[in-house]
Amino acid sequence: MIEITTPEVSWIAILPELVLALGAVGVLLVEVQWKPATRVLGAISAITLVIAIFFTFLQWAQAGDALEVGGLDELVAFSGMIVMDGFAVFGRFVLLVMAGLGLLAGWRLVERLNRRGAEAIALVLLATTGFSIMVASNNLVMMFLGLEIGSISLYILAGLTEEKTKADEAAMKYFLLGSFASAIFIYGVALLYAGTGQLEILAIRQFFTEFIVTRPAVILIGLALIIVGLGFKVSAAPFHSWAPDVYQGAPSGVVGYMAAMAKIAGFLAMARILLTAVPQLDDSWLPVIAGISALSMLVGSTIALVQSDVRRLLAYSGVAHAGFILTGIVGGATTGMLFYVTVYAIQLIGAFAVVAVVSGPSSSGSSIDEYRGLARRSPALGAAFAVLLLGMAGLPLTSGFVAKFGVFSEAWANGYGWLVIVALLASVISFAFYLRVIVAMYMDETEEEGIVVSLAARWVLTIAVAGTVLAGILPAPLIDLAADAFSL
Amino acid sequence: MTLADYLPIGLMLLLAGLFVFVSLVMSKMVSPDRPTPEKLDPYECGIVPEVEAIQRFPVKFYLVAMLFVIFDVEIIFLFAWASIWTALGWYGVAAMLIFTFFVMETLMYVWKRGALDWNVKRRARYVSQETSEAA
Repeated sequence: MIEITTPEVSWIAILPELVLALGAVGVLLVEVQWKPATRVLGAISAITLVIAIFFTFLQWAQAGDALEVGGLDELVAFSGMIVMDGFAVFGRFVLLVMAGLGLLAGWRLVERLNRRGAEAIALVLLATTGFSIMVASNNLVMMFLGLEIGSISLYILAGLTEEKTKADEAAMKYFLLGSFASAIFIYGVALLYAGTGQLEILAIRQFFTEFIVTRPAVILIGLALIIVGLGFKVSAAPFHSWAPDVYQGAPSGVVGYMAAMAKIAGFLAMARILLTAVPQLDDSWLPVIAGISALSMLVGSTIALVQSDVRRLLAYSGVAHAGFILTGIVGGATTGMLFYVTVYAIQLIGAFAVVAVVSGPSSSGSSIDEYRGLARRSPALGAAFAVLLLGMAGLPLTSGFVAKFGVFSEAWANGYGWLVIVALLASVISFAFYLRVIVAMYMDETEEEGIVVSLAARWVLTIAVAGTVLAGILPAPLIDLAADAFSL
Repeated sequence: MTLADYLPIGLMLLLAGLFVFVSLVMSKMVSPDRPTPEKLDPYECGIVPEVEAIQRFPVKFYLVAMLFVIFDVEIIFLFAWASIWTALGWYGVAAMLIFTFFVMETLMYVWKRGALDWNVKRRARYVSQETSEAA
């Protein structure tokens, strides 16, 4: 008779994911059984997200209590697989809010897909499940599982449109390169395990406080592979080459969501591994991350200058933003990074919501010519896009400025002055290509007629613009929240 | 285990390589080589082959393969659980039930969507209904 100790079950730690998974299954089953109107499925997914967000509030309260009273052990659940620290709960909350915004932004695509719309909704919910497991995992294998659940859902979403060829190409590229990156990540995990004998992030940190590793080659190679794998997922240079093609080919209704999700989860996982598991090795990984960061900022902002397609432009700007966010990790603190990721995700989803309105929610091209005179065709849409682009550029009084200030000052304080100077340079360059779109929208004449903006898109844009401006003028509440998001 | 303990394995590896090398190269060198078209056929006796061995076949066989993989994986998990289910207790039962629920849910979904219909015409009807609604 074998004795097997089963892990203690702590439902509260995984309730948001459970609700999301059941919601996704529910959407699919309701669709095949009753074939209801798309609006009903939207209501189910909205209820799912609201319940899941409610549970993150419960988790936040419990994590805060544990921090005050001192019962931090209780926050590690399922035999060390899942943690419920403030970092995980904050990440979950942001992911859930972005999932809601993403669904709204892609609603026209869902309606156009008709019967397949249910699949799009379910995939959005499942991707959110996976990424939310990823940010809450304390075990590297669990993190990989979450990464795969999320990534595979995104591969399918990238091809889910009625305009076949382009989306198929994007989905295939994303799938092949993405699986390759996942394989590199898990190989890195295996090597890290070979070097330390631990898979749990907290146990790895414990290992480095107890032992001095004299020949850390295996561990460093493993860490390098993990950085490559996650660097791919967040499209940091030099692992960014898939991003423009995928952003261009995938249906624009979901691109903002896809990009935002992968970036949030990727950066949070990277911060958890680097800052929680192996802070002792920072002599080795800090220069690497700083290099990737500088390269991403320069490559992203210079190549974006010559793009003629708005989606490719946003993709390269995303590469530059990956570099900016990495300066936060170089700074060694998570507050600035969490703030940056949150406000950038909102801007990204908002910007692609505009693309979905102007160029259609499927995989049609989105040349910058289509945006000429947009401010005349629809003043509100043009203004919203302008605010979002200026927010991405980091104009003062928008959230982008506060976010950049936060991560740059952290990097500066940590002794990476040269990186901050590169980052400021890249920010200046990036103004040029954001302004190019804005100039095209406001200065050029157009013969085209006015644009009708759907109600869902109007909601997304209102929230995104309000978030960008509010977090720029009154950033304190969000910064405090990010600062409270402690990591175990 | 020291490195010396691996010596027999190393010797075995060497012998295996040598055996392959010797038998292939020696037979090539020693044997007479007078080819005729009949001798170069895949089968020297029997009827003359008329078509390529690798052919295209209906995509529905892939469907069967996919279904087989899905249920095969489920059986693998069930088997592992069933062989030590007393040790796993209610935790194992609950975990298996959750797992089976998601497999069955998937089965129900593809069934309802007509993916299991062997008859292509019936499946086509489902697809056309889908597109006509879209139009």
